[in-house]
Amino acid sequence: MRKLAGLLFAVTVIAQQGHPLTGTWNGDWGLNSTERTQITFVLNWDGKNVTGIMNPGPDSVPLASVFVDVTNWTVRIEADAKDGHISAEGKLDDLGSYHRTIVGTWRKGTAKGDFKITRD
Amino acid sequence: MRRFLLAVLSSALVCAQVSYDSGRKVVLAGPVTRIEWANPNAYVFLNVKDAAGTIANWAVQIGNPLDLEHDGWKSSVLHIGDVVSIEGNPARGSSRRAFATSVVLVRTGAKLFTASAKRAVKPPAQPAPRWPDGHVRLGVVPGTKGYWGASSATTLMETAVPITPEGLLVNLSDADKVAPLQPWAKAVFEYRQRTLLKDDPLGRCLPPGGPRQFQTPHGFQFIEQPELGRILVLLGGGDRNWRVIYTDGRPVGQKDEDVRTYYGTSVGHWGKDTLVVDSVGFNERFWMSSNGLPHTEALHLTERFSRPDLNTLKYQVNIDDPRAYTRPWNAGWTIAWVPGEEIQEYFCEENAESTFLR
Repeated sequence: MRKLAGLLFAVTVIAQQGHPLTGTWNGDWGLNSTERTQITFVLNWDGKNVTGIMNPGPDSVPLASVFVDVTNWTVRIEADAKDGHISAEGKLDDLGSYHRTIVGTWRKGTAKGDFKITRD
Repeated sequence: MRRFLLAVLSSALVCAQVSYDSGRKVVLAGPVTRIEWANPNAYVFLNVKDAAGTIANWAVQIGNPLDLEHDGWKSSVLHIGDVVSIEGNPARGSSRRAFATSVVLVRTGAKLFTASAKRAVKPPAQPAPRWPDGHVRLGVVPGTKGYWGASSATTLMETAVPITPEGLLVNLSDADKVAPLQPWAKAVFEYRQRTLLKDDPLGRCLPPGGPRQFQTPHGFQFIEQPELGRILVLLGGGDRNWRVIYTDGRPVGQKDEDVRTYYGTSVGHWGKDTLVVDSVGFNERFWMSSNGLPHTEALHLTERFSRPDLNTLKYQVNIDDPRAYTRPWNAGWTIAWVPGEEIQEYFCEENAESTFLR
C-alpha cells in the first residue's frame, strides 16, 4: 500500500514544463450534457507551429491548424474529419498544472456544442 | 545578512510552497516550545499571544545549523521555556511561519544566532591546482577537503536586472531582458513570475537540471575520474543528485529513442584550461532556473568550466533552444570554493515543509 501511495505521488507531481500545449489531451464534446463523444488530441510544438492529430489510430484525423493566442491562452483547432469540418475554440486554464484543461465551443459541420479536454 | 540571503534562497529552492516575503516584517515574542536543529534549516517554535489573548504557535527559521555551528552557536544556547523576541520576514500566505532577522533572549538581552565576521573572510588566493598532465583540477586535491559553494548570481539571466533572492523580478517588464524568449515562452515565464513560482518542480524535490545545478545553496563537487573517462558532479542541493560528464571521446549527441533526462547526456573535452561540455537529451520536467525560464526537449547547453585560481570556479553557459528562444544566448557566474569542509548532508524530502512543520 505504501508503495502504491508513493507511485501515485510520483505520478501526480511529474509535470511537463515546456510548451503548455505539448502532450496528449483527453476529453469529450457534445451537443448537450448526456450525448458526449470521446476525443483525444496529441499535440506537439515544433518551434514555430503546434501540430498534431485527433483520435490517434486507424481513424486518426490530422489537424489542419492549431492557433494559440498567448496573450489570453485561447486555442483554436481546425481539422477536416471524414464527416465534416471541425472547429474547436477554447481557453487554456490552470497553465501551471500538469492536468491543465481546455474548455470551449465545438463546431462540426452545422452542429454546435461544447468540449473539454484535459492534458494526460 | 549573507546567511539570511542563503537561507531565503534555500527555502525558495527546496520548498517553493514556503517562501518568505522580504517586503514585510513581523515581530514575535513568547516562550520557546520547541527547537529543531536539523539540516537544512534550524527552527525555533514559540507561542505568541495576540492582543485578544489568543495564543498561536509560530515556526521561525533561524538559518542552516551547520552554518550556525561554524559561527559558534549551539542549540543549547536556547531552552524550552526561554522567552525570546524575534524580528523577521513572514512567509507568503497565511501560515504562521517566519524567517528570523533577529533573535533576542529577553532574560539577558543577548542577541542569538548572529553571523560571525570571520566567515566573511575570503581564503587567501592561490594558483589553481593541476593534474600531473597539466590541466586544471576542478575537484579537491588529495589530502585536503573542500567543495564549491555560493555562486555570484542567484538565477539565470542574460542581462542582470533587479531580482529577489527567490528569483522574482522586481519589475516584470524586465522579462525581455532576462532572455530572448519566444512569445509563448515569455507568456509562460510571466505566468510563473505572477504566480510567485508556485509550480516550481524543485519545490516537489525534482532535480535542478541545467544551469540551476550550479546555483543551489548546498553546493556541489567534481569527482574527476580520468581513468574511467568521466567526471561526476555531486550535488549537495537538489536532493544530493549526481550527473556524469563523459570525457572518453564519445560523440556529442542523443538518439531519438534514448530516454530524456533531467541532466541530459553530457560530453566534455578539455580546451587548454577550460572544460567544455555539450549536453542534450533533456526532458521538460524541470525548470533550468529559479526564476522559471522555460525550455523544451530541443535544449542544447554548452558549458565552460575554468578555475582561474584555487578559490574560484568560472561557469559560462550557452543556451540554445530554438523552440523556446529566438536565438542562442549566454550567461555566467563564479562560484566560491569552501575550503576544509565537505558537502553537508541534505535531503529535500526531509525539509521542513514535508516533515516536522506539518
